[in-house]
Amino acid sequence: MDVMTQLQRQWREHTAYLRKEGYLDDQFEQLQKLQDENSPDFVAEVVSIFFDDSEKLLNNMAGALEQKVVDFKQVDAHVHQFKGSSASIGAMRVKNLCIEFRNHCEAQSLEECVRCLRKLRYEYSLLKNQLEYLFKLEQQIRAAVV
Amino acid sequence: MELQSDVADTQQQMEQQHFHVLAVDDSPFERKLLERLLRECACKVTCVESGDKALEYLNQLDTYQSNSADSTASLSSSQSPQQEGLKINLIITDYSMPGMSGYDLLKTVKGSSSSWKDIPVVVISSENVPSRISMCLQEGAEEFLLKPLKLSDLKNLQPHLLKSLVHYNKDTKCSTDTGNNNNNDNVVKMNNNVISKRIAMSPEPSERRPKPKELAVV
Repeated sequence: MDVMTQLQRQWREHTAYLRKEGYLDDQFEQLQKLQDENSPDFVAEVVSIFFDDSEKLLNNMAGALEQKVVDFKQVDAHVHQFKGSSASIGAMRVKNLCIEFRNHCEAQSLEECVRCLRKLRYEYSLLKNQLEYLFKLEQQIRAAVV
Repeated sequence: MELQSDVADTQQQMEQQHFHVLAVDDSPFERKLLERLLRECACKVTCVESGDKALEYLNQLDTYQSNSADSTASLSSSQSPQQEGLKINLIITDYSMPGMSGYDLLKTVKGSSSSWKDIPVVVISSENVPSRISMCLQEGAEEFLLKPLKLSDLKNLQPHLLKSLVHYNKDTKCSTDTGNNNNNDNVVKMNNNVISKRIAMSPEPSERRPKPKELAVV
């Protein structure tokens, strides 16, 4: 019981921290509301798809920026998709960076785009770590029930 | 009376909650989210990744229905048990997709000479572009929803799903005659994410539904 209470408190505090620091916004809460007995792993599943999607998109962006002649429209298309999925998951900081990135694509500034991609990768990896920690806590909570 | 049986069917289907929605989005993530949101609204969901696949699926349904419709087929064959789960009650499609866009899909569906044109279509997009929105509404989209989607946005789809259960002939004739009017007057922002066409003739959605009192009685 003690372990459980402690874990649950950690989970609450970590979620609050992620919200406060802007990693996540209200939309994440919307996703959590969709998790129920019929879809007990919904958030983890959807986040997992998000991770796969994101990594693909980040690699696509990198590839597009490495071309001899950079097609900024192509880069923008990838960023647009990433912005969409990060907004849908509630990943606020990542989403905001995508908005900035799109501006650089429009300005066709290669240097700024490359810099932005670097920031985006970093921000994304931070988010990934934070969410993985959150899910680990959830797993421990479930294990504690048994 | 035909109308009464339609109303009874509608009520029954509402209770059984057999709405079948075709969701179209090129992002696997968005498809997962859409499927979950729609299931929350008690819909059976079929997800496809492109406009082409959507049309392919609709074609397959048509083929199945024409094959299984025997000589005993009557006007209500579209609501007979074996087809209930298959008939599409609503199409929800992303706007920006590679190849055939959501708008292209909307045009194709609405421009078809078959029963496809009577299927309500909802377009979703992560970008709030007024010209794009009015373009879709003018082409016949029921709603234009902005991503990220919330559960409350999809609850707004109930009237359209309901409409699709009653015979299309009765409803679509009066609800699509506003095509000649300046649709900008009819576009109303219902909340931040949902922009809907207000029908000039019957501003309240409930008035479009046949005899709500009878529904309650049944």
